Amino acid sequence: MNILVVDDERPARERLRNLIAELGLGEVVGEAATGREALELTARLDPDVLLLDIRMPGMDGLETAAHLAKLERPPAVIFTTAYGDYALRAFETQAVDYLLKPIRLDRLERALHGARRLNRAQLGAVEEAGREPDHPGGGARTHLSARVHGDIRLIPIEEVIYFQADQKYVTVRDSTGQVLIEEALKSLEEEFAERFVRIHRNALVARRALEGLERAGNGRYQVRLEGIEERLEVSRRHLSGVRRLMRG
Amino acid sequence: MTSALNAPKVPTRPSRDDLFLPDFCGIRMVFAVVVIAQLLAFLLALAPLNGLSADRWRELGLISLFVQWAALTSAGTLCLARPHLARLSNTAAGLIAYLLMMVVLAAVSEAAYHVMETIGAGHSAYWHVHFLVRNLAMGAIINALVLRYFFVQHHWRRNVRAESQARLQALQSRIRPHFLFNSMNTIASLTRSDPAQAEAVTENLADLFRMSLSDVLNRITLAEELELCRRYLYIEAQRLGERLSVHWDVEALPDDALVPPLTLQPLLENAVYHGIEPATGGGRIDITGRLDGSVIEVDITNPAPAAATQRRNGNRLALDNTRQRLSACFGVGTAVNIDADEARYRVEVRFPYLTADPQAGGGA
Repeated sequence: MNILVVDDERPARERLRNLIAELGLGEVVGEAATGREALELTARLDPDVLLLDIRMPGMDGLETAAHLAKLERPPAVIFTTAYGDYALRAFETQAVDYLLKPIRLDRLERALHGARRLNRAQLGAVEEAGREPDHPGGGARTHLSARVHGDIRLIPIEEVIYFQADQKYVTVRDSTGQVLIEEALKSLEEEFAERFVRIHRNALVARRALEGLERAGNGRYQVRLEGIEERLEVSRRHLSGVRRLMRG
Repeated sequence: MTSALNAPKVPTRPSRDDLFLPDFCGIRMVFAVVVIAQLLAFLLALAPLNGLSADRWRELGLISLFVQWAALTSAGTLCLARPHLARLSNTAAGLIAYLLMMVVLAAVSEAAYHVMETIGAGHSAYWHVHFLVRNLAMGAIINALVLRYFFVQHHWRRNVRAESQARLQALQSRIRPHFLFNSMNTIASLTRSDPAQAEAVTENLADLFRMSLSDVLNRITLAEELELCRRYLYIEAQRLGERLSVHWDVEALPDDALVPPLTLQPLLENAVYHGIEPATGGGRIDITGRLDGSVIEVDITNPAPAAATQRRNGNRLALDNTRQRLSACFGVGTAVNIDADEARYRVEVRFPYLTADPQAGGGA
C-alpha cells in the first residue's frame, strides 16, 4: 500500500511516518505540506491512500479531497484532525473515515485496513460541512478544479476574471486562458459573492477586474475587464448595480 | 525560571461558616433588633379594637419594655450560642435556635409577671397562665417568621455570591482545546524523535495549564506573564517550525507590574490562530511594550492573511474576555483596542501600572 501523508506540521508528518513504519502495512511514498502539493504528488505518485489533514493554510483538506475526486482513479482518503472540527458530523453521517490526533496506532491500523475510495456524494457532503461560515479559510474554496486530459488543473480563485455559463458548462476565464467546469453559475455566485458580481443572466465578473463601462450601441452596455481584451455584455437588469459598483 | 512562576496568591476571603443565622453580637445587629422590636411593640399596641385612649400610651410603654427585653435577651442568647450552632446543620441549628428563643420568651414572661407581682400589680393565677400562653403563642409565630426571614436572606446572599463567583470563573482565561490537542500531538511526535524537546514542551504546557486553573483572584507580575507567553510560543514553534517568527520589544516594560494571569497569552494565541496558521508562508508576530507614565501599553501585531479576512467569532470572544478581565481587575483605565487593515491586525492593550508594593509602583 502506497501512502501519501499530508499535513502542514512537520512533527505530525513525522509521527505518521513512524507509526506507518511500525505497522508495516504500507510505505510512505511522499509527504505534502499543503493541499496543492498533495494534489501534485497524488497525480505524480499515484498513492493508494491519502492521510489528509483537514486544517491547513491555503487549500484545506476538505477542499483538497473535493479536487481529488476529479482524478480518473482517486486514492482512498482518511482525514486526520485535531479537536472539534465542524466536519466531524459530516464524516459520521457519510461513513468517511477520520483519525483524531494524536493518532493511535490501533486506530490507524484499522483505518488503513478499511481504507476505501469515497464517492462523490460523500465528498460533496464533507466539503459542504467545510464551507460553514465559521471555516478558517473564510468559507469559500480557494481554487477551482477542472479535468484536463485526465489531470487536475487548479485555478486559484483570485486569478479568475469571469465565469460565463453556456448550457451545461461554465467557462472560467483567467489571464492565461479558459477552462470548462461542471458547476452551476448560481452556486458559484453564492459561494464567491464577495469576489464576484453578476452582470448578466449568464455571467459573473470579478469585482477587482472591473475597469470601465461603455456603450455598445443600440442601448446596450458592456464592461471592460483588466488583463483581457474581450468585453462582456451587461444586461439592463444589472446595469444600475454595476454602475454603483464602478462609482464606489 | 520555574521559581518565577510560583506566583504569590492573593488570599481569598476567610472561609465563613454556612450558618444562616447572622451574628447578633455586632452593634449594627443589636440596633436592628431594637428597631424591629419597637415596630413589633407598636403593632401590638395598635392591635386591640377598643379605641385609642390615654391608657393606650401607658400600655405601649409596657409592651415596648417587655418586647425589647425579650428581643434583646433572645439576641444575646443567640450571640452566645452561635459558635455552637455553627457546628450543626442549618435545620438542627434552626430548630435549637427556635427552642432557645421560646425558652427565653417563657423566662422573660415569667420574670415580668414576678416584677408585676412585687410592685403590687399582681393579678389572679388565671391571668398569670393567660399571660404566659398568650406570649408564647405570639412568640411562636413571630420567632418562626424571624427565623424564616433569616433563612431566606441567607439563601439569597449565597446565591448572589455563587453567581458573581461563577461570572468571574467564566471570565477566567481558558486555554483553547484546539491548542491543547495540537500540543498533545506535538508531544506524541517529539517523544520518538526528540525526547528532550518533548520534555520541554510538556513542562511548558503544564505551566500554562497550572496558570489557567489558578484562583480567579490570583495576580502575577508582568515579567511572569511575558514568561508564560514565551513558553506558549515555544510550544507553537515546535509545531509550526519556521512558519512562526516572533519579534519581542518589551524591554521598556516594568517587570513588577501586576496583571491577572494569562492576560496577554490569549491574544498571542489569537495571533497564531488567525494570523500565522492560515497563512501559507507563515508570518511574524510583533510584541511591543511601552510604559507611558503610569499606563502600560502592549501591542500585538500579526499579519492578516487574505483567507482569514472574515474574522471569526472566537476572536471577538477572546478579546472581550481580556477586556472584561482587565476591567474587573483594575476598574478604570484599561482598554483593548483593535487596529486592523488588509495586511496587519494589531491589538493594543492598556492598563494601569500597579505593583504589589504601593511604594514602588509608578501608578501609586
